[in-house]
Amino acid sequence: MAKARAIVQRRQSVQNIKKITRTMELIATARFKKALDRATEAEAYTRKIAEIVADLGTTSLEVTHPLLQARTEVKKALVLVITSNRGLAGGYNGNVLRAATRSLTDFQTESIPVRLEVAGKRGINFFRFRGTPAEVSYTNFEDRPQFDEVNALADSYIAMFVSGKIDRLDVVHTRFVNAAKQVAFVETLLPMSAANVGEAIQSVRQAKPTTSVAATKPKGEPVPYEFVPDSKSILEEIVPVSFKVRLFKCFLDAAVSEQIARMVAMRGATENADAMVKSLTMLYNRARQAQITGELAEIIGGAAALE
Amino acid sequence: MATADIHENQTDKKTGHVPNLRCVVVTPERTLFDNLVEFVALPLFDGELGVLPGRSPLIGRLGFGELRTKVAGSARRYFVDGGFVQVRDNVVTVLTNRATPVENVNTEAAARELESAKMRKTTNEVEQAEKTKSVDRARALVRAGTHKS
Repeated sequence: MAKARAIVQRRQSVQNIKKITRTMELIATARFKKALDRATEAEAYTRKIAEIVADLGTTSLEVTHPLLQARTEVKKALVLVITSNRGLAGGYNGNVLRAATRSLTDFQTESIPVRLEVAGKRGINFFRFRGTPAEVSYTNFEDRPQFDEVNALADSYIAMFVSGKIDRLDVVHTRFVNAAKQVAFVETLLPMSAANVGEAIQSVRQAKPTTSVAATKPKGEPVPYEFVPDSKSILEEIVPVSFKVRLFKCFLDAAVSEQIARMVAMRGATENADAMVKSLTMLYNRARQAQITGELAEIIGGAAALE
Repeated sequence: MATADIHENQTDKKTGHVPNLRCVVVTPERTLFDNLVEFVALPLFDGELGVLPGRSPLIGRLGFGELRTKVAGSARRYFVDGGFVQVRDNVVTVLTNRATPVENVNTEAAARELESAKMRKTTNEVEQAEKTKSVDRARALVRAGTHKS
């Protein structure tokens, strides 16, 4: 009975694991919905900013801002890697970290010193293991990144960029394309190009027609706006805001993608556990049958010996 | 969505009058307020601007201060942390990093902040500008806090 019992025990433990992964899948699904809702709500702001930039663009687009100045020589780069605090999210962290390592190697071959910043425990541990620990690490960005936190981070980056401590800012994160596709992505946020400021304009055009009253105005005739104080200074003020929103979007995307990755991974785990339970049940039945057959053979053998 | 009030009071029940100015307050996290109102007072960077229905289109920069909306005699007030405003076709869109209902403003904390901002020592222009900004912000916060009805 020894073998059959071992199989029963194994099957029981697999069933327990299946329960856990199933629960984790459900939790991830709920979190994903919440994160996605947040991301969609945040889009209203981006859309509005883009709209204002577009409106300003009809008057004049001669804008100079320190954040828009591309440095001819990159002396120091900053790489921010956004990973998750928790594991069991399939290839989510692996993909981001692989992309990060690649970009770090690129900087190394060009012999540009890099200041590495990492958000999320997974990434922090990875880089510590590799022997290149992050200079600054954050663990406060969970599945609900707050704008205030990102704002403070963005302010420090702006200060560093303006004062020349860094000449370039790359963010490695997972970009949320749609519910079925997320890609690890290296995005250069600083220096911004003038096109970046109005970048969201494109997404506005691609986006479905919104119910927003303000958005429905024929493109042909520009609205005769009154600018307070004037269009140029408003545009200059919008540049850092646009940067902050883009950084915030990186974090939101990462949060949504993390939950999707976990959901998919846990669904896979649950299915695998199911298959395993089935095959273990079959194994158990075979073992039991073998045992019975063996016992029968013994009895018959014994009876035959008595005759 | 516990604190957001969207499409709450579309019509004034007493008079049946429909206010025809729409005020939308958007923060990077979510749309905080989306209502029809009769009047909006905006804290522009250099002073207050009142908007009534039919105002000509405007794009402006906001400063720190109080945003008031009025509908059917009752006012709703938010403390706004800078940002932009767009007025067009009777829609007032306020884009700001943070908007706090005035009831939630902590006056004592704001006063403390003002004191510490005033005490800050500055050595160069950037720090000076930073200081002026924080003093202005704290002062506006105190003002908004003390005026809560």
